[in-house]
Amino acid sequence: MAILAVENLSFTYPDEEECALQAIDFSVEAGEFITIMGQSGCGKSTLLRHLKRELAPHGTKTGNITYQQTNLADLEARTAASEIGFVMQNPENQIITDKVWHELAFGLENLGVDTLTIRRRVAEMASFFGIQKWFRQDTATLSGGQKQLVNLAAVMVMQPKILLLDEPTSQLDPIAAMEFITTLKKLNQELGLTVILIEHRLEDVLPLADRVIVMDKGTIQFDGEPTALLPTLSQLNLLEALPSSMRIFYNLNGTGQPPLTVKEGRTWLSKQAINQTMLPIQEDIKRQPVLEVKGVYFRYDKHADDVLRGLDLTIGEGELFTLLGGNGTGKTTALKVLAGLEKAYRGDVKVFGKKINKYGHNELYREVLGVLPQDPKVLFLEKTVRLDLETMCTSLQLPTDRLQEVVSLLDIAYLLERHPYDLSGGEQQKAALAKLLLLQPKIILLDEPTKGLDVRAKQQLAQILRSLQQQDVTLVIVTHDIEFSAKYSDRCALFFDGIVVSEGMPRTFYSGNNFYTTAAHRISRNQLVNAITPEDVVTLCKS
Amino acid sequence: MKSFETYHPIVLFVYFVSVIGITMFFMHPIYVSLSFLAAVLMNSILFGAHFWKRSWVYVLLFLGMAIINPLISHNGEMVLFYVNHNAVTVEAIAYGMAIALMLLAVLLWFKVYNDTMTSDKFIYLFGRIVPVFALVISITLRLVPLFKRQIKQITQAQKTIGMDYAVGNIWHRIKSIVHIFSILLTWALENTIETADAMKARGYGLPKRTTFSLFRFELRDTIVLSLIGILTIGTVVGSFIGNTTFYFYPTFSPIEFNWYNVLFYIIYTMLLLLPVVIELKERWQWRSLQSKI
Repeated sequence: MAILAVENLSFTYPDEEECALQAIDFSVEAGEFITIMGQSGCGKSTLLRHLKRELAPHGTKTGNITYQQTNLADLEARTAASEIGFVMQNPENQIITDKVWHELAFGLENLGVDTLTIRRRVAEMASFFGIQKWFRQDTATLSGGQKQLVNLAAVMVMQPKILLLDEPTSQLDPIAAMEFITTLKKLNQELGLTVILIEHRLEDVLPLADRVIVMDKGTIQFDGEPTALLPTLSQLNLLEALPSSMRIFYNLNGTGQPPLTVKEGRTWLSKQAINQTMLPIQEDIKRQPVLEVKGVYFRYDKHADDVLRGLDLTIGEGELFTLLGGNGTGKTTALKVLAGLEKAYRGDVKVFGKKINKYGHNELYREVLGVLPQDPKVLFLEKTVRLDLETMCTSLQLPTDRLQEVVSLLDIAYLLERHPYDLSGGEQQKAALAKLLLLQPKIILLDEPTKGLDVRAKQQLAQILRSLQQQDVTLVIVTHDIEFSAKYSDRCALFFDGIVVSEGMPRTFYSGNNFYTTAAHRISRNQLVNAITPEDVVTLCKS
Repeated sequence: MKSFETYHPIVLFVYFVSVIGITMFFMHPIYVSLSFLAAVLMNSILFGAHFWKRSWVYVLLFLGMAIINPLISHNGEMVLFYVNHNAVTVEAIAYGMAIALMLLAVLLWFKVYNDTMTSDKFIYLFGRIVPVFALVISITLRLVPLFKRQIKQITQAQKTIGMDYAVGNIWHRIKSIVHIFSILLTWALENTIETADAMKARGYGLPKRTTFSLFRFELRDTIVLSLIGILTIGTVVGSFIGNTTFYFYPTFSPIEFNWYNVLFYIIYTMLLLLPVVIELKERWQWRSLQSKI
């Protein structure tokens, strides 16, 4: 018996002509784990919000949603609030109170549960999620991953029967994301909780899903087992979203059941014919150093620990350099020191051979160095993107034709009249990048530019970065995104404990690492020497 | 005061209201001195050497306050000498010292209060009276660090696009600061929508909301609260039969030490030393626990 059923649901936002959802039909059995995927703007978030009555968007709606044979609209308010749980994308914005314990109790307080019951349920959940160590802490002191776990736990104390999650891991680093997904798996398998999850990082999620729903332009294109996904996705041009093993399988025209995990991928690949085992290694190009870091030490506070402990780094002209490392290792701090936003207490940072503190205050950030912050929203000021860029030009007395150049370079003419906050993550990033490019920097530092982006947006970002490189712009990227780094960077480095512990060209770098490497390399390591992307594996097997 | 602190906020609050109230209302030399001595004892237990190192501040405060009264009040019978034809009397000096001692005692009690009644206990207490208040404070307390961090990020990002508020002419600086706050405001409003959604999704706005807290009212709280009640009532009763009445003007009324006077002094002393006794009892228990091991 279906716990949730959607019948012929269509929905249009006010003042818009196109339907956001069109004739959606599906039902969910109790205990199922369903993943919804699709490009941004395909209506998946709109659909998910419709399933949670309190969050249903305003607009014209036709069709029916029933929860346990009751129309969702007729559901008792307490049942609706407690039995259908919802976790959103941003860990920060869902936290309401200042203490972890209060956050866990918040939902139950609203339901009017008495103190003794709250105490018991909160205790249960805190133990299940392993939160007891930070139970009495301030929520502000938690990391992003911890925050999202608290959000999940805060929904779980209300004992929901269905859990809806809208890209819950997109703002987390891979390790925290993995931990979150593992917790979801535990909830699904040990408590029989029904889970509906929107996700575009499928590498970890797909093996867990009983069913996948693929959406495009407000309609359901596919609804079935993950192994049957391939034809629909190749038609929608969304193959990039799939786990590496499935992509290798598809591109080598594999037959039968496609492998979902690295383990399955290895087994499958071991049965395939291999042409070559090694790709040629490119020569390292000698580049003019533009950014040099020598023995830099940094700490935030006199009494705090060092975050950078003698960092050495040289970045050459026109290269795309990625700095990788776990969460909280100080990568972002390193970037801030490189950008001159934080001052090292020992050591030198040289930009174009000149010490960074010798630059005048406006000299450095004009035509020399630009920084794309992790959250592009901190750059936007005006009501529309166009106004925002124009104001920037006038207040800094920049030539107006530059605006036109930048807009055509980034291909953002279609965004100009929109409010920066209404853009998707990828679009916001482009608008922010446009703002930086008005100043014509020769070096751009980017902090986690792929965070929260879907496959399409990542590809577009990569294209933009390539075209900037052609104009001899040097790019330094701090990221968790191993796959992105392996595919697009010229050189990468692993940052750990305040220094760079290893660096090299992506091919040698990733084939040298055992754990901190791409899924494609982990799949192919036994047979191929230096394949690091699914494309590499395919080339070596095909040629 | 490790062990006293762990009592239920209501117990702590009642205790401080009682002690500070009695200290302020009964201007009797014995009562004021007892309260002052107890406050000093509590402070030295709580803050130790740190308190004594800064004790000169309190001596100065005491002298300052004590000197003012004889300069403006010339009542009293025991004249010491005349300044510009105005009498400086022993009564006025004594009254000034008593007032100074009382104020100092209140100040020192408030220091103990501050250390013991942390903000979460205070919020809890007032949340019981106005439930929304507790939630509003809790939400606000979360926003403070969030905004601080965001301001830093906005400031740094603006710096890299030429809007550094710390350089340039005054016009540029003002403009940059306005920009920073404008961005912060938009960002905060935008995020608030999401937070409001998260609140609704978890059932905020349903009728009959309860308020949860980690504090539990245990048997030991009942015992200590009753003790505080009995001792406070005892002191107040003493006041009704005139035990706390003392006149400085026109000249000092006598201080008596009959058996019942002494009884009421002892009752008040017991009230004042209650936290110290609890503390000592607990320490003694720990010691006996350890010696058994």
